Amino acid sequence: MEAKKWHREYLERYQRLKEAGLPFFPNTVFKDTLVAFVIFALLAYLAWTKGAVLEEPADPTDNTYNPRPEWYFLFLFQALKLFPGHLEAVAAVVLPGMIVLGFILVPFLDRGPRRHPLTRPLGLGLGVVGLGVYCFLTWKGYSSPLTNPIVEKDPVILAGRRLYRDLKCSYCHKVSGKGGTAGPELDKVAGEETEAWLISHFKNPQQMSPGSTMPVLNLLDDEITSLVAYMKSFGVGSYTPEAPKLFAENCSACHMINKQGGDSGPDLSLIGSARDKNFLKKYVEDPSQMNPSSAMPGFQGQLTDTQIDDIARYLATLGQ
Amino acid sequence: MRAWTWINERTGAGKIWEALFARKIPEAKGWVAWLYTLGSASLFVFTIQAVTGALLAMNYVPSPDHAHDSIRFIESQVFLGSFIRGLHHWGATFMVVLVALHMLRVYFMAAYKYPREATWLVGVVLFLLVMGFSFTGYLLPWDQKAYWATMVGANIAGQAPALGSYLAKILKGGEDLGAATLARFYSLHVLVLPMTIAVAILAHLFLVVWHGISEPPLKESNKGD
Repeated sequence: MEAKKWHREYLERYQRLKEAGLPFFPNTVFKDTLVAFVIFALLAYLAWTKGAVLEEPADPTDNTYNPRPEWYFLFLFQALKLFPGHLEAVAAVVLPGMIVLGFILVPFLDRGPRRHPLTRPLGLGLGVVGLGVYCFLTWKGYSSPLTNPIVEKDPVILAGRRLYRDLKCSYCHKVSGKGGTAGPELDKVAGEETEAWLISHFKNPQQMSPGSTMPVLNLLDDEITSLVAYMKSFGVGSYTPEAPKLFAENCSACHMINKQGGDSGPDLSLIGSARDKNFLKKYVEDPSQMNPSSAMPGFQGQLTDTQIDDIARYLATLGQ
Repeated sequence: MRAWTWINERTGAGKIWEALFARKIPEAKGWVAWLYTLGSASLFVFTIQAVTGALLAMNYVPSPDHAHDSIRFIESQVFLGSFIRGLHHWGATFMVVLVALHMLRVYFMAAYKYPREATWLVGVVLFLLVMGFSFTGYLLPWDQKAYWATMVGANIAGQAPALGSYLAKILKGGEDLGAATLARFYSLHVLVLPMTIAVAILAHLFLVVWHGISEPPLKESNKGD
């Protein structure tokens, strides 16, 4: 019953403090009003001088737009970069969930009579560290380019996926094991074809695959681009035996795969679950274009296009 | 004075004044006293959001075909439209900042402790509602940023374990982000969330007045501080 005792003592002491205090009006009201005026002045200044930006109308087919989150969410996007591959998807939900749960639990975990921060080192420590981490991640997120797979799902691929659905391709084709059986399983075969082949195939299936029962879809060029991008996004698992050798010769001095290799660059054992082949290819060609703070040299010119493509295919399978 | 007596007898205005405005507040000294204005500052910005939001709604059309045009109309044709939209836009940021600072004040002073646990919990609900306002309001201009940022948000919701894909579908009102999503977000932003937050604000304020504003914690006292 110790807890009850301090509860009662607190209420009595609070009653005394309250009676010795000043009335809400005009004392507190004065301070509140003053603050309100300052805030309104600041708001009005920002509204008048900066206003609110209105960008171009939303274009769901635009494949170049890369949205940045509001600054107060930047920390989350930065934090997600710490989680590899599929873990990131979980973290995207779990992390905010844990923050909210933490908020809810605060009054139930910290129940003693002590209130001053200096008498609650744990509470103070957690608060300061939490705030510090928040500020640090926000700053990191602000100063680094956005390289977040959830954000950076290529919109062309998304558009392709939408078209795939709208055109009811899954009546005949399987992707991720779902769909019909009349046509081939696309995620097994389509990624291996060249873009040119896929484009021609979408224009006239019978010309590329004689005997195919696939209808001519009369697609617009944009639509074909999207669908090809979607098909190419499956493009994993078709690297040559050459690729791991190329990796060992050119990359493993800095990068580790399954504990083999150097550690001056990131461990790539799970990279395929976070990046698709095209991203990896561009990155290997010229890292600075994807991530200005990268210390990695570009391999465009060092290796042939086919070799880089091969390595990217190989990397894209890791962790899948 | 007869008018006052008439009103007082019929409304209890005097009692209300005593309970709300004449109530005493434990004294906070120096700069600490200013930390106690963060809650009322949040409420003030909320009223700004309510007023400017209502004004914006008078000219805004929540459909993909007209949303962007209606905002352009507000920006260029409506008297003070650009200013009002600016206030609403910056008010949203201020709201998040003030609510966060208010929470930090309460956290570091441990003002959530007995008997004010429920006040804190309602505060957490208010914080989540503010986030909801921020998320749903972001889509309404229907510009590139609005569309793609909401797409990211919906994608994230879609990543939730087990219920993710349903959550994303409910949020978007279907498979795609389109007219249904905009109408949904608008309804949430101007009907559902305001009604909910009004109730939560009243509950929060009631609890604040009911328990009395927490006194600034003392370092030395180990008898209850």
